[in-house]
Amino acid sequence: MAKVLFINPTVREEDVPRHVPYGIALLAAIAMKRGHLVQVYDENAWRRGEETIRAVLAADEWDTVALGGITTAYVSIRQIVRIAREVCPNATIMLGGGVLTSLPREMMTWLPEVDVGVIGEAFGTFPEILDRLDQGDRTWSTVNGTISRGPDGKLAMSPPRGLLHDLDNLPYPAWELFPLEEVYFPNSQVLFSEEGMLATRRLDINASYGCSLICRFCYHLGIAGDMRYVEDDKGEANVEFDRPGAYTRTIRYHSPEYVVKLARYAYDRFKVNFIGFLDENLMTMDQYSDRTWMRDICRLWKENGLAPSYLAQGGERGESWTGIHWSGTSHATLCTPEILKEMRSAGCSHLVYGYESFSPQVLKRLGKGSTPKTNIRSFFWTLEAGIRPIPNQMIGFPSEDFDSIRDSMAAWDKLGIVVKPFFSTPYPGSEWFTVNREWIERQYDGDLEKFVLDLGDATKITGVISQNFNAVELLGLREMMLMKDLKRIGEYEEIWRANHKIPPGQPSTLYTESEPPMLAVVNR
Amino acid sequence: MNELLKGNFQTKNQVTDSPAKEETLEDRFEREAKKRLGGSIAYVSKKKVMWDLKNEKK
Repeated sequence: MAKVLFINPTVREEDVPRHVPYGIALLAAIAMKRGHLVQVYDENAWRRGEETIRAVLAADEWDTVALGGITTAYVSIRQIVRIAREVCPNATIMLGGGVLTSLPREMMTWLPEVDVGVIGEAFGTFPEILDRLDQGDRTWSTVNGTISRGPDGKLAMSPPRGLLHDLDNLPYPAWELFPLEEVYFPNSQVLFSEEGMLATRRLDINASYGCSLICRFCYHLGIAGDMRYVEDDKGEANVEFDRPGAYTRTIRYHSPEYVVKLARYAYDRFKVNFIGFLDENLMTMDQYSDRTWMRDICRLWKENGLAPSYLAQGGERGESWTGIHWSGTSHATLCTPEILKEMRSAGCSHLVYGYESFSPQVLKRLGKGSTPKTNIRSFFWTLEAGIRPIPNQMIGFPSEDFDSIRDSMAAWDKLGIVVKPFFSTPYPGSEWFTVNREWIERQYDGDLEKFVLDLGDATKITGVISQNFNAVELLGLREMMLMKDLKRIGEYEEIWRANHKIPPGQPSTLYTESEPPMLAVVNR
Repeated sequence: MNELLKGNFQTKNQVTDSPAKEETLEDRFEREAKKRLGGSIAYVSKKKVMWDLKNEKK
């Protein structure tokens, strides 16, 4: 059986490690279930650096070294695969996850050490690769869902891999292979709610895959049915994600029984007191299931003795509890007051809402289906249910202008929202990236890898896609928003209008629907 | 005894310290969240919600 070393690369280096990598934990469980020999080294958790990575790689003769992660793990992945090639010259180096899927050809070019890339969902592809390793067959081009190098060195993409539909056949994540007691449980706290703050033993669960919405900034990287294989102008296969007028989606979710049994397993085996649902949008599944999915999860949560003790006894919030509090992501237009109350009674403490902005024109162009009115409605429904809404906001939308900034500031003031907005960031795989790629590359001297290396968690400015504001302006305007300094924003608007020669009476914007942002900037 | 004012003369009136208010769980959470504000850390300061919900619901 194949001897597998998983390495979890470092991500969000500025913060402590908070999340067991769910995908790697599932793939490790799948591999072990099939009898393979598995070890996990979690560099993101341990953060020991190169010397330890070398020692781990030298610990055995690995058939494969497998890595994966989101795009922002690229810096760490690049370092690890270089060391892996040097220390383990005969091992097959495999890369998957969002980082590979978003830009398969580019990643395989930038990382010549990688032998095979897993595009999209790996649940079927990964075990097939391990079987091939057992057979001594390294012809990856006949394994669907991969990208590899042919004898001539050319990249070859095999046909796409279909998505797994019977998700309940998946084993439980191999959480036990990660440093829970040493690293993850001490970092259980999530400062989104009182209960999140008090969490001492948290694990995460992914109960569903996909989202029905077409938010321009979002990316699903193949697991939401959003990925298509197309031929480029050189006749080479490549992946394509959301672009204007071309959206595809597949919605999949675990049964409520699977979800609650998994939670019960986490409670019994790991004594968790908090679970974070990683799902893109719990409310998509609730709506898609005719409002049965979330309701049944809540019912089973209570029936299985997982609802926090004081809620089960009809009480209010407490400092400690038996049972499990939990959290997830909601959506302004898809939630209902009824389900929010059900969720609270089962222990839901907070729900992340991507409200993004309170500007009607920004929201209208975002593809989210929300308006300031639905944002505000869901905000109060959630508070009234006893759940904290987490009101995420962004600045730097393509059509962001002075009025949209003021609209958001006015809403924050009235709603008591305390927020330091994310910068609108065109992550690879998103429609924003697809539409603005050339413009983004130009901001990085034509070198896309520089942009990928620069990407973080959208708390700093990277590629700008605003037609009205440059990076310096966005940074300054965000600070003024935090300081609630409408006066200085107004003063700067006058300077900005003069700089851009906007005649009196015309709105303070350069945004045009028909003109790509790239041209808008070039024309300045 | 006046402990809050330090100076080289005695004020006419004594300043008495008001007892520290007991911090609620909600206060503690909002204080902690404010320290880490940024990115995904955002919160609602519940006491500052000023929206006229009655009018909104009409």
